[in-house]
Amino acid sequence: MILDQLILPWLLAWLMAGLGAYLVAVLDRLMASGSAQVGSVWLAPLASAAWLMTQQATTTEAPDAPAWRLAPALYLALAAIGLALVPWSPTLVGVDLSTSLVLWGSLEALATVVIFLHGWSANSHLALIGAYRYVALGLSYLLISMFVLIGVALPAESLRLTEVVAAQASLWHVVSQPLGLPLFLVVGLGLTFWGPLNLADSADLSGGTAVERSGPPRLVWALARAAMLVAFSAIAATAFLGGWMGPWLPGPAWLLIKSLAVLVVLLWLGRRLPRLAPERCLTLMWVVLLPLSFVDLIWAGAVALWMA
Amino acid sequence: MAVSWQRRLAARAPAAVFLVEGARIGPVRETLALSPGIRLVDTPRHASVLVVAGDVPTGWRDDLRRIHDQLPAPFVSVWCCCESFEALCNPIRNDAVEALPQGVVETHRELMLGKRDSAPRLLPDEPPNSWEGLGDDGHGGEGMMGGTPYGRPMAMNMQDDLRDGLTLDTLTFRLGPFHSALPPGLQAEVSLQGDLVQTWTVTRKPFASVVEPIFHAARQEPVPIVEIELARARHHLRRLYRGLWIAGWPRLAERTLRMAGQLSPNSDIAGLRYTLERGGLWRLALPEPGRGALDEAQARQLGGPAARAAGIDDDLRSQDAHYRRLGFAPTCREAGDTAARWQQWLDEIEQSLVLAGQAARHDLKTAEADAVETPRGPWADAFPHDMSDLLGEVLPGLEWSEALLTLASLDVAALDLHPLGETRLPGPGHAGQKGHA
Repeated sequence: MILDQLILPWLLAWLMAGLGAYLVAVLDRLMASGSAQVGSVWLAPLASAAWLMTQQATTTEAPDAPAWRLAPALYLALAAIGLALVPWSPTLVGVDLSTSLVLWGSLEALATVVIFLHGWSANSHLALIGAYRYVALGLSYLLISMFVLIGVALPAESLRLTEVVAAQASLWHVVSQPLGLPLFLVVGLGLTFWGPLNLADSADLSGGTAVERSGPPRLVWALARAAMLVAFSAIAATAFLGGWMGPWLPGPAWLLIKSLAVLVVLLWLGRRLPRLAPERCLTLMWVVLLPLSFVDLIWAGAVALWMA
Repeated sequence: MAVSWQRRLAARAPAAVFLVEGARIGPVRETLALSPGIRLVDTPRHASVLVVAGDVPTGWRDDLRRIHDQLPAPFVSVWCCCESFEALCNPIRNDAVEALPQGVVETHRELMLGKRDSAPRLLPDEPPNSWEGLGDDGHGGEGMMGGTPYGRPMAMNMQDDLRDGLTLDTLTFRLGPFHSALPPGLQAEVSLQGDLVQTWTVTRKPFASVVEPIFHAARQEPVPIVEIELARARHHLRRLYRGLWIAGWPRLAERTLRMAGQLSPNSDIAGLRYTLERGGLWRLALPEPGRGALDEAQARQLGGPAARAAGIDDDLRSQDAHYRRLGFAPTCREAGDTAARWQQWLDEIEQSLVLAGQAARHDLKTAEADAVETPRGPWADAFPHDMSDLLGEVLPGLEWSEALLTLASLDVAALDLHPLGETRLPGPGHAGQKGHA
């Protein structure tokens, strides 16, 4: 019991968070081939981490000390909890809750709180703007996420991720709900404020919520963002790409391959697109993507009834 | 002392550089941005090396001290064409811009390996102003938000909102003079409601901007059109690089910069334009049509590409017989807004490359020597003077991201009338001084 319910989820979550964050750094550098970089792509993330570990952790004038210290760790913890929910096979699951989809949704909502805290607690104007921006964006993508995730729960008649995977035995949701995965990828970019949806830590804010960060806390923040990207990719692969299902290879290998594919798409989008203007981003979310998520939900319900 | 494995590993990381650009310096930012082993960062908190390039006048030195002390230890400063602070023992001086990147990489490596000590702090670690708030957290006093903690007003609801009438607390702060998104030397006091710019007051004018020596030579004697047009295209590409960086597209920004360094009369930017359009720069990232627009008087005062983006077809090249022989006619847009100015850069780069190609075939030089159309604007009897006060009229009402992208599209600094390398005499073109219009 201790092994199954305590050690296994802990190991799975932190192993994936650590390895996944490293993988994100390597892939991102591979995609930046041709830019002004030196050294091995495999060693560069470790060198950058070591550099941050040698740096002083600066602070600002009168920050909200507890929130300032805790925010990076909390975001990393949210990513780790997300990774613990991922089913690697019918039996290898860190935390197999009957409401794992709901827990994932709550992580997305809590991420908004943590990212806001990160920017607000710094007591610095550019960090504060980043925090406000994220909250303004967060509500719109959370609604999209909610409708899309309800869509994948309908055919399974369950909020348990293992059953969501089992419901895709005949047809993956990426096919039966064609709007779902593209919409969910937008949610992923928003949740991790990556690439075109990086409005919280953006260049026009000189780093936004992380503008005042240095040293080990900045490393934790970077790790947490990367780990959240990995967690999101694994959840997306579970919800839309059939999770562990696939021929020849063992289940965990299939999930790894599918998660990697989602991760590569997210990183590629991050490099191919400029950052969206906040107002246009909100318009896009509320006027285009949110109605599309309604359509996705209706479509998912109709398909579930037809296949039942 | 043995060096730990962690420090040996850290020495292999790229040198994170915060660049302070002073007056009368060439394209140092661009040189560093393309150098392997260097990563330019937007805040001193993310850096281990402070590079100060160009002259930082006396009035800007206190700000530089504050920047210096914001770098987390261990850190060093490298000084290029600038006097360092006396308090720094053994400052690292490197006046050769070409050798600067290698020097920075070496310095960073020595710092990480413990062969070089971290720079000392120049200022006491205390707030610049005393605490003047009421209560432990500055609350109390007026309403619930009284007091001026550390000499700064707290966010207070003082102004009507410009956007939708939803009045929020106004946040006022100073930005610059070495903020990476602002022209070097520019400092502004900014008031925001939410992320909307309410007021933008320039408190210090930017340093005069430098153009390539060919534009100065063109005022003395005829110069090859191919060279001056390539220099113009390079200038606009470098501005595009800075804009794309702020727009959150670093990969394309770097590609643009590489293109600027490799320009030839046979170059073309069709691929770059295609990527910008396909990526949705105009549809999704830049301000909406009409935002950041200049009226005719403002555009005419600013001159150059900004004026042509507003439909004013003033261009001194029209008066040059050899340009007319090449069929030159000013390229213009009508809207005069931020997006039009970004488009205008691309149009003018394309036009310059076409002109360079034609001029190379005919081996043509400019016909006029007393007037030149610089990338900043016309330079004849008058020259482009400082227009930074215009920002106070254009930026209010824009959301923060729009404001910075608009700022990136406006070349508001005065033109430095002396080519780099020439000892400058006091006179027009200095930072903060106004030339004649």
